[in-house]
Amino acid sequence: MSAAPDRPITLLIAALGGEGGGVLTDWIVKAATHAGYPVQSTSIPGVAQRTGATTYYIEVVPATWRALNGRRPVLSLTPGVGDVDIMAATELLEAGRAIANGFVTRDRTLMLGATGRSYLTTEKMAMGDGRYDRDLLIQAINDNARDNLLIDMETLAKANGTMINSVMLGALAGSGVMPMTADDFETAIRAEGKAADANLRGFRAGLAAAKARLPVVAPVETKKHSRETLADLERATTAFPEAAREIVLEGVRRLVAYQSARYARLYLDRLAPFAGGDPILLRETARHLAVRMSFEDVIRVAQAKIAPERFARIAREELKASGEPFVITDFLKPGIDEFCQILPPRLARAILRLAARRGWLGRVYFGMEVNTTSVTGFLRFWLLAKLRGWRPHCHRYHEEQAAIENWLGMIRGAAARSPNLGSDLAREIAECARLIKGYGDTHARGTANFASIETQVIRPALAGAIPLPLAIDAIASARAAALADPEGESLTRCLAAIAAQTALPTAAE
Amino acid sequence: MAERSFSKEVEALKLGDGETFEGEGILAVTKALLQSGVSYVGGYQGAPVSHLIDVMVDAGDLLDDLGVHLETCTNEASAAAMLGASINYPLRGAVTWKSVVGTNVAADALSNLASPGVIGGAMIVIGEDYGEGASVIQERSYAYAMKCGIWLLDPRPDLPTIVNTVEQGFALSEATHAPVMLELRIRACHVTGEFTTKDNRRGQFSGRNKLSGPPKFDYMRLAHPPVTFVHEKLKAEHRLPAAQAFAREQKLNEVFDGDVSEIGIVVLGGLYNSVVRTLGRIGLADLFGAARIPIYVLNLAYPLVPDEVAQFCAGKRAVLIVEEGNPDYIEQQINTQLRRADIQTQIHGKDCLPAAGEYTQDVLLRGLAAFLIKTRPTGVDADAIAARVETMLAHRPAATKSTGEIPPRPPGFCTGCPERPVFSAVKLMQRELGPTHISTDIGCHSFATLPPFSMGNSILGYGMSLAAAAAVGPNMERRPITVMGDGGFWHNGLITGVASNLFNKGDGVLIVMQNGYTSATGQQFMPSSKDSYAASGQTMDIEQTLRTFGVKWLRKVRTYNVATMLKTLKEAMQTAERGLKVIIADGECQLARQRRVRVEDAEKLKRGERVTRARYGVDDEICTGDHSCMRLSGCPSLTVKPSPDPLRTDPVATVIESCVGCGLCGEVAHAAVLCPSFYRAEIIRNATAWDRFLFAMRRGFLGLFGIRFPQAEPALAPIPALARASTTLDARTTTPT
Repeated sequence: MSAAPDRPITLLIAALGGEGGGVLTDWIVKAATHAGYPVQSTSIPGVAQRTGATTYYIEVVPATWRALNGRRPVLSLTPGVGDVDIMAATELLEAGRAIANGFVTRDRTLMLGATGRSYLTTEKMAMGDGRYDRDLLIQAINDNARDNLLIDMETLAKANGTMINSVMLGALAGSGVMPMTADDFETAIRAEGKAADANLRGFRAGLAAAKARLPVVAPVETKKHSRETLADLERATTAFPEAAREIVLEGVRRLVAYQSARYARLYLDRLAPFAGGDPILLRETARHLAVRMSFEDVIRVAQAKIAPERFARIAREELKASGEPFVITDFLKPGIDEFCQILPPRLARAILRLAARRGWLGRVYFGMEVNTTSVTGFLRFWLLAKLRGWRPHCHRYHEEQAAIENWLGMIRGAAARSPNLGSDLAREIAECARLIKGYGDTHARGTANFASIETQVIRPALAGAIPLPLAIDAIASARAAALADPEGESLTRCLAAIAAQTALPTAAE
Repeated sequence: MAERSFSKEVEALKLGDGETFEGEGILAVTKALLQSGVSYVGGYQGAPVSHLIDVMVDAGDLLDDLGVHLETCTNEASAAAMLGASINYPLRGAVTWKSVVGTNVAADALSNLASPGVIGGAMIVIGEDYGEGASVIQERSYAYAMKCGIWLLDPRPDLPTIVNTVEQGFALSEATHAPVMLELRIRACHVTGEFTTKDNRRGQFSGRNKLSGPPKFDYMRLAHPPVTFVHEKLKAEHRLPAAQAFAREQKLNEVFDGDVSEIGIVVLGGLYNSVVRTLGRIGLADLFGAARIPIYVLNLAYPLVPDEVAQFCAGKRAVLIVEEGNPDYIEQQINTQLRRADIQTQIHGKDCLPAAGEYTQDVLLRGLAAFLIKTRPTGVDADAIAARVETMLAHRPAATKSTGEIPPRPPGFCTGCPERPVFSAVKLMQRELGPTHISTDIGCHSFATLPPFSMGNSILGYGMSLAAAAAVGPNMERRPITVMGDGGFWHNGLITGVASNLFNKGDGVLIVMQNGYTSATGQQFMPSSKDSYAASGQTMDIEQTLRTFGVKWLRKVRTYNVATMLKTLKEAMQTAERGLKVIIADGECQLARQRRVRVEDAEKLKRGERVTRARYGVDDEICTGDHSCMRLSGCPSLTVKPSPDPLRTDPVATVIESCVGCGLCGEVAHAAVLCPSFYRAEIIRNATAWDRFLFAMRRGFLGLFGIRFPQAEPALAPIPALARASTTLDARTTTPT
């Protein structure tokens, strides 16, 4: 018999409330008990369990009760910084939190991490992209842990019809740090009884993944590319520099599907002036221009709602339907604005003027729940989608083309100012297109924000009233401020600060 | 039925002599109560002690057999008052609640119980909700024990010790005629371990062997002058010394010797394990608790035993008191006692350890290092230890730098929660009418104080929200809104809030969240839990109660109906009618509902009955990634994913598989005029002939336009469970099958 161990093996589990962390902890305790090792677990449930971050802490003495011969270990109820052997995190940001709390150290800790993300409300609420930097988290794991096993446990759990906790248990068994054998763990799962088969499948998948030590694969971003289109149009894109070609091609294909080959030709013509300049500016302008030209009017929404692949996707992937009847109901609430979009400009303007006078704008809406799988519901969208050919005669089309020309004009103007800084300024202006998106209020807010930045920063910059380097910074920060809060408080503050800053040199003159 | 089923744990409560109990601390306490021969048990749920009552509720037969009366009280005051049974009769009894908040509610009864004292052992099991994982204000319960003359037990977090302390606690209570408190910290309630059980005991008198009648009239049993003056004297002159004598004789406190005897550590029982582990990490203790520094463990935290303290301190240069929080009750008492005994041992405590916060390992490492540096005992290299501790702890700031500031992940409303839509409506209402004062309460609805709602100006306690707005309304132009759960309504809000408001002809808007359970603590039933699911013949109804009380303006709105809720809120805010305006926001707790509906649907499917299942979705080509919908919802099932559009970078909205189809997405899209991306998809299983006919006709028609619906496949993948157990307190009852 070897000498008694001087410390237990310590395991900290970081999980989200409701992920089955309590069951995972029970399995580990049961496995250790079954194998005869002293074990203790603690947790801090309570309301923290309702989707919030929580932890479970386990200590296992790597010598059996028999070997200890009546000696009773005193086990700790709290984990210690620098004293954790295994850090198991069922979510990537929680792995990061464990590191930030000091529980992962190079001399000791094995990080068992699930690579999936469950986004925080604050990440989801952002008006642009509020997601935490994934690469930073992976890098922190590599830098702080003695070793790590990062596994896409969510996918393994789904594939095996189980939850992430059984996969994590398998990974733990496969890590080889615990004194218990895979059999001990399987016994614990069987003893728990519920859904034992599914949990055993998950356990084995986790075990195999841990033993295989597969490298972390970045999540594949599945982009839906547009279908190929007319050969001569596609050929025309080869005239653009390599760096931008892919985007330009995507833009062409999208616009042919959105409107017509003629419309796609207009896209290429609009890009032509940028072809010989800064390729990055060209690429970004091409990206935003394609999005702006395929603006989200009711016709486009109708097209998307009756796309054949949509029905198949919803039925198969979301409802798992195979022959059963199903119903898809779409929620629409168009207002006067939306109706005017598809009217001739003059008529639309007259109605909008009247509506504004009567105070109908932003108040009068027509809420609809359309059963798109029904005959009448489908036909409603189908007829709307058929208006595509009529689109160039519509009010919204005219408004959008004017706005696009205005924006392109500013980009061209900026690029012409000077070779380097001018190009940077132009890129910042191009990027401001990101502000204009969405429907109804969201679209109106974005458009208004763009207009504020245009009149208060971009136009003065183009007129030479603001020094170029300052203008470039100012546009970037104004854009970030516009995306910071929907109430527009940040943008107002930011524009005021810019005004104060730019007023100084003028005052000094 | 509460959130978790305790059928296995109930079996553990039945174990007899010489068998082994395996499980968590609070259940070990439950077993110890039965081994101690209690005649009654009561309490009010709340982490970390909810399980004590929950498991007893599931153990009806066992309690029946032992003659134990169980009461699931409406609040802690009613639980504390139950202990009144032990004033006159040799009945052992125990009650439980979350402290310090529960003790605050119980305070009146506790004082009036402690004054006359008890004949039968009376124990209060308090879950000390302090430190990491706590959900209440950070105060310790110690002061209550001191001021009332209730003995406070704080056992080492080791199951045999905890069980022994419960049994000893009853004996202590009876020997001294004082009630006792058994304090368990959060982690101690949930610590797992094992102990050797004894047979359960029937009380001397119980439901099985009833008392024949009351004792002869004895004014001394009443907490009423003039005998209260006698009681005060009794407490100080008889009960306190008796408790100290009992502790000494029964060795409630423990001394663990060590070779570095010139210093020592005095530690509360509950903190003992952490201290030993910390000593182990600096090479001054082994895994089995053999420490080089002598340790005096206070399993009885109040009262202290002066001669034991003197004996431990005598001959030591310095002693460190390890007691979390502020004030430093024990440090002060020991200082006084040593001065009286003229013992010159230096007392350290809050000069080495912080006055606030849980004593985690890193806090204790730093504190012990500071103590060793101050005292420099021979045979211990204090400098080397301090340097080692610094190295250990220096890692943390560096690690934090490498990850960046990780934003917090607080708990929130579950997927499909019926309370979320109410706050969507309040947010929309405030957008139209302007912001107003919102008085918040205790319960799941307090998650509305977090993003995306960030609403609420005060939380004054459980059921207190309406009373807390009483002086705000008259001093503010816009009516305040008060939010209260049905749990809080029955716990306290009806009298403290509603009756007081009506009596004073108050104004204001009260939203009562009627979800049918005390959901935050694990969905226990309460007075207005519906018959249909509580199946207990209860008829207390919030609406009727309010009408009886005299509320005139009363509306009941289904919570998911955001448009109606918005309209009703606006009406309540703007009506010229004076008086309290109550909106009952009606919607069953989704966690409880899912657990019920899932079973019902599975049975219907098996019987071949028609079952529909709905979920929501977002068309990712239509979504432009503005996330307005998230800012009005915060549902865990409504999240983001990378944009599938090669030309866009901002992530788009998506509804994940855990969606329960509550309908909020559609309601909010309409009420807030968001965007046309949302849809509801509904599948019909075991469809009727009409369903199938209609579907075939539609399929045929849409087929003319090139739309192909999926056909039946021969081999079917199993249908995944309706919802992942995304938000349950404990996934035990909800592992997908």
